[in-house]
Amino acid sequence: MGVLYLVSLLLGITCMLLLDHRFRLFFWRDAKAAAIVTAVGVLFLLGWDLAGIGLGIFLRGEGTIATGLLLAPELPIEEPVFLLFLVLCTMVLYTGARRIMERIPAKRRENERERENV
Amino acid sequence: MTYLWLALAFIAAAVIAGVMFARAGARPGGAQRGGAQRGGAQIGETARHWKAVGLAFAALAVLTAVFDSVMIGMELFHYDASHILGLKIGLAPIEDFAYPLAGVVALPGLWIWLTRKRNDASPRASRNFKGLVPQALLASRPVSWINTAYPFAAAMLLTTRDIDWVLIVGTFYFLIPYNLAMYGINDVFDYESDLKNPRKGGIEGALLQPHLHRPMLWLAAITNVPFLLVLAFAGGPAAWISLGVSAFAVVAYSVAGLRFKERPVLDSLTSSTHFVSPAVVGLALAGADVTPGLLILLAAFFLWGMAAHAFGAVQDIEPDRQAGIGSIATVIGARRTVRLAVGLWLVAGLAMLATPWPGPLAAIIAVPYIINCAPYWNVTDTTAARTNVAWRRFIWLNYGSGFLVTLIFILQWSLTS
Repeated sequence: MGVLYLVSLLLGITCMLLLDHRFRLFFWRDAKAAAIVTAVGVLFLLGWDLAGIGLGIFLRGEGTIATGLLLAPELPIEEPVFLLFLVLCTMVLYTGARRIMERIPAKRRENERERENV
Repeated sequence: MTYLWLALAFIAAAVIAGVMFARAGARPGGAQRGGAQRGGAQIGETARHWKAVGLAFAALAVLTAVFDSVMIGMELFHYDASHILGLKIGLAPIEDFAYPLAGVVALPGLWIWLTRKRNDASPRASRNFKGLVPQALLASRPVSWINTAYPFAAAMLLTTRDIDWVLIVGTFYFLIPYNLAMYGINDVFDYESDLKNPRKGGIEGALLQPHLHRPMLWLAAITNVPFLLVLAFAGGPAAWISLGVSAFAVVAYSVAGLRFKERPVLDSLTSSTHFVSPAVVGLALAGADVTPGLLILLAAFFLWGMAAHAFGAVQDIEPDRQAGIGSIATVIGARRTVRLAVGLWLVAGLAMLATPWPGPLAAIIAVPYIINCAPYWNVTDTTAARTNVAWRRFIWLNYGSGFLVTLIFILQWSLTS
């Protein structure tokens, strides 16, 4: 029974939350909206997983770095954690991209103003 | 091919949801004010939204190509080859890029739609939540966390003799989330009477600001429901019933409409349930055999809890009466409540003598409680507040009792293994 995969996922989630905290992107901007987006995202992707498992497409591996604990047939305990990480990563990337896009024009205007003043 | 069709179906759903949310979210005044408002601002907002979605997907695609290959290489999962196209980037089948694509198309749209209405009010909203978690932790009386986690952990560990994930998850639940709910709900609905009680705000609980009341209730629900579901999932009907009773006691004690804490006798019964039910949940999850000795032990523990609650209510007689709140102490009076508590501890101690060895050793634990409270044998309603001195000792006395109980459990363990 290995916990490497699970620990890596939890570390990844921690890193996403640290970025979120540092730049006030997602949970630290609107906790309620972020909680809804996260819940909807994880449930949607989990539904997709279950559909794939039901159709016999997704098969769990026997990798030694996973705990081997199952929530349902072919659905390891790590899967919802991975989906949570994926949702957080997606939203940190999106909100981060928005932030950068807002910064660039603002900076350009600032530079122009400075030039005019000189 | 099956995977492709499955992926396309979910992507289609994500695209429809994402486009609809993004349109509604980019509209500044909400759906009603379309027409005239649809100007450059909205087009600019929509363009920025999709540009950011594109950037995020580009980054996600690179991450997916790398990490999906690693995960498949580590044999975390694989696919039935007959169901996939066979086109791969690294080891990742092309269909695997559908997950991040669907997520990034739909979720940011949902996000801008959810944050749209509150755009003007968001500074206030974010200030509202500030300090919720520290407040909630302070309100949950960390000094008393162990009182609910210990009965669970001890009951389960002594039965299974094994540390498994249910024990760890359950102990954590009864250590923090359970107390967060119990005291959080209590402080929300006690706000009025707490204002008049100078004892609140320190070791015995914090005054909770009204703007944190709703967030506190949400926090209690969010931190408790998942644990209750997971623990219920791990056990059978006995665990479901005991978890249900436990959660009901937590809510019913203070929530408006039920307010068991204001119903004499029911208040002490409910309060004791708060501490005994974690032990019962632990026994149920461990599948313990119901023996007379075990039932006597639980009954003694229950009487101990009732006595503790009744005695604790004595110090609050004055503030409770001023606030129009009833309790066992306000109804039967300070003197009789103290005597009742001493009597209950006595019966609890004597009951332990009837349990199998080494249970009778635990009878001695009743003695310090009786000594601590006996000086107030003749207390009156006007001097009731003075029992706070004994109550403060009481909190530390519990740690001593816990120590003795632990020694007895270790003895029991070594005798039976």
